[in-house]
Amino acid sequence: MAYSEKVIDHYENPRNVGSMDKNDPQVATGMVGAPACGDVMKLQLKINADGIIEDAKFKTYGCGSAIASSSLVTEWVKGKSIDEAATIKNTAIAEELALPPVKIHCSILAEDAIKAAIEDYRTKTA
Amino acid sequence: MNYFQIFGFASQFELDVHKLADIYQTLQKKVHPDKFAHASSQEQLVAVKKSTLINDAYQTLKNPLMRAQYLLELRESDQPNEQASFSDNSFLMRQMELHEMLDDVKHANDHEAAILAYAEVLNIGFQGLAVEMHAHLDENTIQSNLLAGNNLRKLKFYQKLRVDLDKLEDQLFNDE
Repeated sequence: MAYSEKVIDHYENPRNVGSMDKNDPQVATGMVGAPACGDVMKLQLKINADGIIEDAKFKTYGCGSAIASSSLVTEWVKGKSIDEAATIKNTAIAEELALPPVKIHCSILAEDAIKAAIEDYRTKTA
Repeated sequence: MNYFQIFGFASQFELDVHKLADIYQTLQKKVHPDKFAHASSQEQLVAVKKSTLINDAYQTLKNPLMRAQYLLELRESDQPNEQASFSDNSFLMRQMELHEMLDDVKHANDHEAAILAYAEVLNIGFQGLAVEMHAHLDENTIQSNLLAGNNLRKLKFYQKLRVDLDKLEDQLFNDE
């Protein structure tokens, strides 16, 4: 199976790889994964008082498509409000990266990671 | 006839693998192509099909994770899709840590010791989950079968790391 150029680009030059302090009240952490296939994705968002995502970092263990999906998401969410970020759909990720049908679950994982991070933020700020 | 019944076993997780191997040999001899050299093509075909079935059954039952998976399918336990994301945060954290530890093995000064130590960590995690899964499968209720499926997905993850460790070991020692 051939990867698209965009997947290869994100895979070779992943954007925003890294970690933030998960105990920082401004930092929301979303962890998702599919244990049997071994993929695990951590997405962290730094959210300011106005609810705008100032920074995003990810760490993903998985295939090229999983890494590219999470890398793309960190680029997309920066500068967005959490409500806007919550509307990002896996179909948009899959389309942007030209993911083949067998790799659609990677884009779903990335969407779930955004949701999980926002959920974490809401729990933290509640 | 299900895979367990082919070997005359009860449809349960506990199984004597030595006995399984013995019965497998006996059954395969009965359907060996040499015995059907002079038989009709119809009979030959039936023998080949039987041989394939016995082989599939054997390969499935001798591997504990495949056996558990098959047993859950037989029980029609409604398990989530394997690719579906999973929200057990503590296990996800553990997955992340185990991946990071594997990266550390790569960069360790003493590869041999690091590999042994990591293999031991995997082994302990695997054994603990295997014991839990066995108990849940024996309980055999809708709820316990779901829990067994959850254990099984985690066990597959450990097995995958074991394979990754073996690959890394090959790489490290082939380069030296």
